[in-house]
Amino acid sequence: MKKHRILLQPLGKSLIVNDQTPLIDVLHEYGIEFPCGGKGTCGKCKVKLLEGEIGLTAVHQQKLTALCLSDEWRLACHSRCTSDITLEVEQCNHIILADESSFDFVPQTGFGVAVDVGTTTLVAQLIDLSSGKVIAVETRINPQGKYGADLISRIQSCINGYASEMTYMIRQAIGSMIEQMLRLHKVEIKRISLVGNSAMQLIFSNADVTPLAAYPFDSANSGQKEFSVSELNWKFKVKEKIIFFPSIGSFVGSDILAGIVATNLHNKENYCALIDLGTNGEIVVGNQHRIVCASTAAGPAFEGTNISIGMRAVTGAISSVYFRDNLLKYNTIGNVKPKGICGSALIDAIACFRESDLIGVFGEINSGENQIALTTGLGLTQTDINEFQLAKAAIAAGFEILCKSLSIEVKDIQELYIAGGFGNYINIRHLIQTGMIDLPEERIHKMGNTALTGAKIFLFADNQISNEILSKTTHINLERDAEFQNIYVEKMLF
Amino acid sequence: MNELLEKLLEAVESGKADQKSPFPPQLKGQDGALELTISALEAGVSPQEILESALIPAMDKVGKKFTENKIFVPQMLMSARAMGAAMTQLKPFFTSGEIKTKGTFIIGTVKGDLHDIGKNLVAMMVEGSGWSVIDLGVDVSAEKYIQAIRENPGAVVAMSALLTTTMANMGNMINEIKAASPETKIFIGGAPVNNSFCQKIGADFYSPDPQGIVEYLNKQAS
Repeated sequence: MKKHRILLQPLGKSLIVNDQTPLIDVLHEYGIEFPCGGKGTCGKCKVKLLEGEIGLTAVHQQKLTALCLSDEWRLACHSRCTSDITLEVEQCNHIILADESSFDFVPQTGFGVAVDVGTTTLVAQLIDLSSGKVIAVETRINPQGKYGADLISRIQSCINGYASEMTYMIRQAIGSMIEQMLRLHKVEIKRISLVGNSAMQLIFSNADVTPLAAYPFDSANSGQKEFSVSELNWKFKVKEKIIFFPSIGSFVGSDILAGIVATNLHNKENYCALIDLGTNGEIVVGNQHRIVCASTAAGPAFEGTNISIGMRAVTGAISSVYFRDNLLKYNTIGNVKPKGICGSALIDAIACFRESDLIGVFGEINSGENQIALTTGLGLTQTDINEFQLAKAAIAAGFEILCKSLSIEVKDIQELYIAGGFGNYINIRHLIQTGMIDLPEERIHKMGNTALTGAKIFLFADNQISNEILSKTTHINLERDAEFQNIYVEKMLF
Repeated sequence: MNELLEKLLEAVESGKADQKSPFPPQLKGQDGALELTISALEAGVSPQEILESALIPAMDKVGKKFTENKIFVPQMLMSARAMGAAMTQLKPFFTSGEIKTKGTFIIGTVKGDLHDIGKNLVAMMVEGSGWSVIDLGVDVSAEKYIQAIRENPGAVVAMSALLTTTMANMGNMINEIKAASPETKIFIGGAPVNNSFCQKIGADFYSPDPQGIVEYLNKQAS
């Protein structure tokens, strides 16, 4: 059988497929979503044909016209591979790169690597420093995952004697991601900037995480750290330096520092907020004068942990839930039989349940049954709904307490930025309906991976920006607030 | 049974603290636990009877519903608030000795941990079952426990932890407390804790929910 080569940009992935292979089969392997289920109505799976040919059927042409797409575009759900092709996958630009937002930089010669060391996901980008453009991207699941999904279990594993193994693992994984990018693009790296939460930074640095294990949850050793390739055991050259940026305080790390830089929150006149719905659930509130931040450990529920049918946003995950004609409908990534539900759809489902009075003000299932079915064999249990309540209340209460600490109210926030891996998929209206964020829809903006954008900005900047932000930012211990319990419990309600 | 007591039982069970409280919607505008307790006392019902015929059975129902997954933390804390409102009126009778408690219960969150919602739930369920409760707060050291035990001989001790990392402090603390006061019974609880951990560190009792502790305590007291 005839074979063809597909090059996926900006992933930089090259693969060989059989003639007539549907692109939908190829792309869902990379976590690309097909929200309308491959009907060709939503346009979300559009790809730009950079090289080669994809023949257009009459139906395909019709769909493209309906979506107002020019002739360089194709819908992956309606395409088959019939020649060697190079595709730019639109969704990847949003999910992984998230560098739609332009940033100011002074062009320089050479190349840099920006790395977001996430608790769950690692992302690295190779950047041309003369143009600020992304040349290659690598993403990987953090291999430390086998030592627990959340930070406390990771820290526990370090204490239990796996610290050096975890340090070795993370250095090795990031090194091999960079090597992989260098294999495709033979360039010399000038510098590498890494960002991540405090635990990720300490583990990467082979430093003691024990101070993060108990109150006051603060390490004195979370400042900026510089490394050489030899001590990291990396096989490529770096001309200048490898820097892991400093943590802000407690669990709030340089990924949030980078998020502040990426959203420019530290230069805003009005009060703005940044919420990262990742594993560590960080919240930042502030303006050009003063910034406060906290972490809430609310994230695991959004990443699928603690939810009976929870899973990450990969093939087989229900990615959105909605009502149509009074019936509960859903979309599944990859248009396959659903296996579970990811964070964005969990928010959708809860909002729909509440709107239709399937659950009450306390989160109780009104039918008296122990679960609400989404489809045959898949449903959310009472415990799942309660887990969601704990997570959304942690975010909402944290947000309120941070505002209170600045003597403002939540409604004074003019712009709220949602960061984090699955942030882009969230239905903002549903998010508001769950009571997680009580702000008008138009003030809430999805920002993609702000940690990565910030890490990229750091490639061009000296330490001045990070020092400036650190000097005006205070970490707040939410549990220490006398009102925490009352606010937290109130926010559990719908 | 006295109609006021029946209403008080319902107010506490459904989490109606006072007349102003908006929850639950079906009792909107009606008297809450606070007003009903005042009325009962004014009507000459003895404080002991208010406790035994209204508050204790109400909290017993709440605890059982929680164990059966029929209600969740918010409802339980609403009930706690309602019981707290009733207790403000009964406190003087505890102090004067007119109400007899089943014993003293000392509770806190383990050293290094700040999470206290679970601990507070247990504290109020135990109080609602007729015990006198001393809440030492969060980040409580072994010395603080030992001090409180000295001041309240015969008290039962409980400690809570939410994190696997702080749970690890329980073992040493129990050793210290038992060394200072070998007779003291120590209960442990919290999300990461289980029965085999309880046995491993030499604690006396573990329960996954507040109701289990209440039932165990009451068996000891009777």
